Amino acid sequence: MNNCRKQFWLGVRDLLPLVSGVLPFGLIVGATGVSLGMTPEMVVGMSALFFAGSAQLAAYSLIQDNAPFIIILATAVVINLRFAIYSAAFAPLLGPLPKRYRFTLAYMLSDQTYGLCSMPEQMAKTTPERIGYLAGVTLALYVTWLVSVILGIALGAGIPPHWSLEFTIPLAFLAMLVTTITSRLLFMVAVISGSCAVLFQLLPFNTGFIVAVVAGVSGGLLLPGLLKTKGATHD
Amino acid sequence: MTDTLQLWLLFVAVGVGTFLIRLSFIQLHGSAEALINRSKHILMLLPPAILAALCIPAIIFSRPLTDYQVEYFQLAAALVAILIARFSRSVFWPVVGGMLCLWLLRFISS
Repeated sequence: MNNCRKQFWLGVRDLLPLVSGVLPFGLIVGATGVSLGMTPEMVVGMSALFFAGSAQLAAYSLIQDNAPFIIILATAVVINLRFAIYSAAFAPLLGPLPKRYRFTLAYMLSDQTYGLCSMPEQMAKTTPERIGYLAGVTLALYVTWLVSVILGIALGAGIPPHWSLEFTIPLAFLAMLVTTITSRLLFMVAVISGSCAVLFQLLPFNTGFIVAVVAGVSGGLLLPGLLKTKGATHD
Repeated sequence: MTDTLQLWLLFVAVGVGTFLIRLSFIQLHGSAEALINRSKHILMLLPPAILAALCIPAIIFSRPLTDYQVEYFQLAAALVAILIARFSRSVFWPVVGGMLCLWLLRFISS
């Protein structure tokens, strides 16, 4: 038990260098939230419930466009589907835990937790040690996230509307897009999806977004096969 | 979607949905290996598809969209953000660079 506590604080300590990445993102989420006319309570509540910055930014832009409830919900859920990968990665570790620990830790799973806790040196530890470490990382991140959002709200409230602070939302997505494109196939997926989003942006109820994502993923699934058969006929 | 109560309902619904995704395989532990392997490829393609669909229309055209009015200053800001993102691999600095570019262009042209 003592060892588990030691691992918890080790997890908190290891998260600290990542604060430099989390804090600015939280600032953007907090500041743009109030710039869209939401009350500070709503932005904090939203952040605590979502605990997912990119889904929150997407929800902002759809709320701004007056998109219907179900479309915003579907969009946020689709964006958060990546958490299923982390869930699969930690299933052997967290699956056997008692319900209250399992649910709490699952609720706070994030990109950073996945990054830190799936490193080789962590895999070498005993199961209780790994759980202690994971709890330290996740809790520290949750607190850091909420504090950054609150700071962002305080900052954003003082920024006049003609500064177009809401343009930080597409810019942030663009920066994330650049870092996720690691192969030519993923680049093609982004091109297909982006063009479809432009073509279909006037579809009713903002369904253009869903159409674009489906087109992009289908393209990604079908393109390698198409290119291979084309290459085979040339031989 | 401006009604406060409706927004809170939305936040709770997204919160619950996200929690269920995070819990999914942890809860199914021991009985979902095949499903994990089958869905991995699609899950890998999702981020670029989603991110491109989210940002590209909002960068090219002015919001809220009334007619297809291309925003050249925003395009320039996006180019700056892409260049910075290629080097810094963070989200913060591309946003800062893009916004500075946008403000600068507007200041010069006004």
